[in-house]
Amino acid sequence: MTMWIVVILAGIATFSMRFVFIALFGVIAVPPLLERALRYVAPAVLAALAIPAIVSPDKVLDPINPFVPAAVIGGLAAWYTKSIGAAIVVGLPVLWLVLWLT
Amino acid sequence: MSEQARATWQEGLRDTSPILLGVAPFGLIFGVTASASGVDQFAAWASSLIVFAGASQLAIVEIIGTGGAAITALLTAIVINSRHLMYSADMGRLTPALPLGLRARMAYVLTDQAYLVAATRFDGPENVEGLPSYYFGAALSLWTTWQITTTTGFLLGNFIPASWRLEFAIPMVFLALLVFSIKSKPGLLAAVVGGTVAVLAVNLDYQLGLMAGAASGIVAGLVSERWLA
Repeated sequence: MTMWIVVILAGIATFSMRFVFIALFGVIAVPPLLERALRYVAPAVLAALAIPAIVSPDKVLDPINPFVPAAVIGGLAAWYTKSIGAAIVVGLPVLWLVLWLT
Repeated sequence: MSEQARATWQEGLRDTSPILLGVAPFGLIFGVTASASGVDQFAAWASSLIVFAGASQLAIVEIIGTGGAAITALLTAIVINSRHLMYSADMGRLTPALPLGLRARMAYVLTDQAYLVAATRFDGPENVEGLPSYYFGAALSLWTTWQITTTTGFLLGNFIPASWRLEFAIPMVFLALLVFSIKSKPGLLAAVVGGTVAVLAVNLDYQLGLMAGAASGIVAGLVSERWLA
């Protein structure tokens, strides 16, 4: 039930954010501070999601766990190829290799 | 649909097709990992139709699946999707004369990719002949690809053994999106501060460390513009 409530409310909020300025162009403008802040939303939130999951997989800082080399190599693959798929296709086998070796 | 509109629609589809190749694996990964995450599978699947924004859908699954609070999942999804305000403002600039119902349908399928493709092709309100057809060619091909690949991922997910550690795909997707999102020095600082604070605050209840990291990263980016931009 929790999942349904979150999905439906997130859907309403997301549609509202997509529609508000398309609907009200000329009536209200994007406040300049918000426009500047929005540029940093993606890097800040994505780092806050990705980095703890990689360096503290069990909620304890563990910078030499098997996820770290897999993420470094997978991240480089994503950067080099500009593709999300490459991060998985390269990162997962590295993870399997490290888990198998250790 | 007129002959002209059909041609413009197909042009939008054609310009988007290389992007579809990048979206398809993301859709598959979302479906597979969401089906294995322990959250309500039907709700997670329906998020493709209801929310239709990949990174936020994945964040909701990750947070609810690891025992985070509903409010954290909702706020995170809203913060991630707040970038659509920017796209909305720019699309509004291009489409002031179109009927409101049409603009509402344009808003539902507004994504990073559809916006970028359309904004590259149409740069000002004096030059918007064919914009709706072109935009829907781009946006609906992305929407259809997302629905098909996430559904396929859900179906496949039930056959993939746990020993493959596919849950690792979730942070890898966020990491790849992070790499693409860093376009300036203040943006890099926002990521470094956001990631560091989130790691230090990882034990806060309700995954509040995530919100703390996001907020401090955004502030760091804003404040550092003066020196780094």
